[in-house]
Amino acid sequence: MGVSLSKLTEKTDIWPWLLLAPLGVYMLIFFVVPLADVAIMSFVEPKVSFANYQKVLTGALYQRVFLNTFLTAAFVTLCCLAVGYPLAYLMAHSKPRTAMLILLLVTMSFWTSFLVRTYAWMVLLGNNGPLIAFLQMIGIEQPPQLLFTRFSSTLAMVHILAPYMIMNIYSVMKKIDPALIRSAESLGAKGWSLFRHVYLPLTAPGIANGSVLVFVICLGFYVTPVLLGSPREQMIAGLIGHQVDEFLAFGLGSAMAMVLLVITLVILTIYHRRFGLDKLWG
Amino acid sequence: MTGMKTFLMPDRRRFLKTAGAAITASLATPYVVRAQEKILYVNTWGGPWEAAAKTHLIDPFTAETGIQVKTVSPVSFAKLAQQVKTGTYEFDVTTLGGGELVRANQAGIIEELREPYKGGLFQNGVASHAFATVMAWRTDKYKETPKTWADFWNVEKFPGGRSLQRYASRVIPIALLADGVAVKDLYPLDVDRAFKSLDRIKKHVRVWWTAGAQSTQVLRDGEIDMIGIWHGRYFEAEKAGAPVAMTWNQGEIERAYWVVAKKTPNLENARRFVEFATSAKPLADFSKAADYGALNPASNEFVAAADAKRMPTSPDNYKLTFEQDMVNFGIDPAELAERFEEWVAS
Repeated sequence: MGVSLSKLTEKTDIWPWLLLAPLGVYMLIFFVVPLADVAIMSFVEPKVSFANYQKVLTGALYQRVFLNTFLTAAFVTLCCLAVGYPLAYLMAHSKPRTAMLILLLVTMSFWTSFLVRTYAWMVLLGNNGPLIAFLQMIGIEQPPQLLFTRFSSTLAMVHILAPYMIMNIYSVMKKIDPALIRSAESLGAKGWSLFRHVYLPLTAPGIANGSVLVFVICLGFYVTPVLLGSPREQMIAGLIGHQVDEFLAFGLGSAMAMVLLVITLVILTIYHRRFGLDKLWG
Repeated sequence: MTGMKTFLMPDRRRFLKTAGAAITASLATPYVVRAQEKILYVNTWGGPWEAAAKTHLIDPFTAETGIQVKTVSPVSFAKLAQQVKTGTYEFDVTTLGGGELVRANQAGIIEELREPYKGGLFQNGVASHAFATVMAWRTDKYKETPKTWADFWNVEKFPGGRSLQRYASRVIPIALLADGVAVKDLYPLDVDRAFKSLDRIKKHVRVWWTAGAQSTQVLRDGEIDMIGIWHGRYFEAEKAGAPVAMTWNQGEIERAYWVVAKKTPNLENARRFVEFATSAKPLADFSKAADYGALNPASNEFVAAADAKRMPTSPDNYKLTFEQDMVNFGIDPAELAERFEEWVAS
């Protein structure tokens, strides 16, 4: 039966492919070809060798910046989860009007340019900003430095990326059948136990989806940490831009981009094995 | 090919060049050919820079020659190199700093130029205007006036947050001056000594600024108390009414040079523009409007005394400053930048 069915669909199957063709050609010209160019440049600029990769993989600076990039992305993801999960819960389980209001606030912040949000944090956390003024008002004479620290850059990145986490978890929570919770309760699950053994596993796909999105997007960040963070926080994207734009080191920049791409693909593959990449879009 | 410039964005690829040539060839009409002869694409920094260039360089140039000028921003050194590689030109002329100019000339990505005024040609770039990295501070913070980079380094006498540009080849000479090296012994740079000097100030540098606007902001808002800043950016903070002051003493001058992209189809127009833009009057007006110092000595007679005070190249200020020497630099700038980035991150 399987054979006859696939034969039957073979003829009609050409249409979806035809419809996809313009997009395919577009992706080929504007994504695959340039990416291949980057891959080639990483091996042939300035001369044919593995020198670029050797430098990226063994140089102290590059190792440090790669490590910092991944640690930052992981920490921001954890913070987004800590903030996003309760908020998504509130949205999914409160009255429609309240839920709507929270949703509006989350999406409004999402639609604001991330540069604007970055500069807004500069104003809020600055030496002459309201937060420091408040701390001085309540009697703290030497308020801690807030701006240009790991704290300020993490705060801003969590703010910028949290909507991805919240929307993913929210969409999963919305779909949970309330009957499942009621039956768990009728079987004696309460409080923490109910959450730990029933609710949390049911929301796990949302957590995984949100985390992967936040993590991968965060890997490419650099303006926010440069503008708000401490001098030590260099993200790999910033280093790539620096090499290309200042020193015309297209080969070295390309090699860094390829290493970042490969590591990201490895993470996505692990995720795919575990959860399935197709679930990422709900 | 000029028609393609506006359509093709940064990553112009080889195959697009071929496709573009085919399309342009088949569409070519006498009108297009004429347009090619009377057009020029100038790469600018955008914003106030472009406004000043438009009023004082571009519009008078068009009025005199009939050549239409279109502007492309922002300035990108990487794009200049890519243009020559791909053969698709988004701009014909641009400005480069000294270090970039030396690299560009070595890489063969700029055209040979004539000397438009005596001493004006260097490595196929025509010296146009100069800016200085100067020391500025908050007057609400310090009663006494700091005078040298050694004072900048002296956190006992002048406690408070510092800021410098995250740009190795500008910071290293400053670090050496702060450590007591005389200007005449600065080049070639003693890099090891410079890093030892930088170690002393490191924990006080709250911001290694990367964008001009950012440097104005941290000074104006008092996020730091002392900063190494471009003089034009300093004047912005002063104009905004912030309690700030600066000194030209030990200011670090760098020159900007006009260059022409190698093998550009508008070569002759580009050369004419470079000569025009570095001639006495237009350059004087542009430098005044954009807060630069004109490098053509003939421009001085078009600069009023009050404006000269704001220029690093006016005789009174110039004698206090020093210039970057990219030829006797002493280390490959790319290698230096890598070491510097590693130092900042550690």
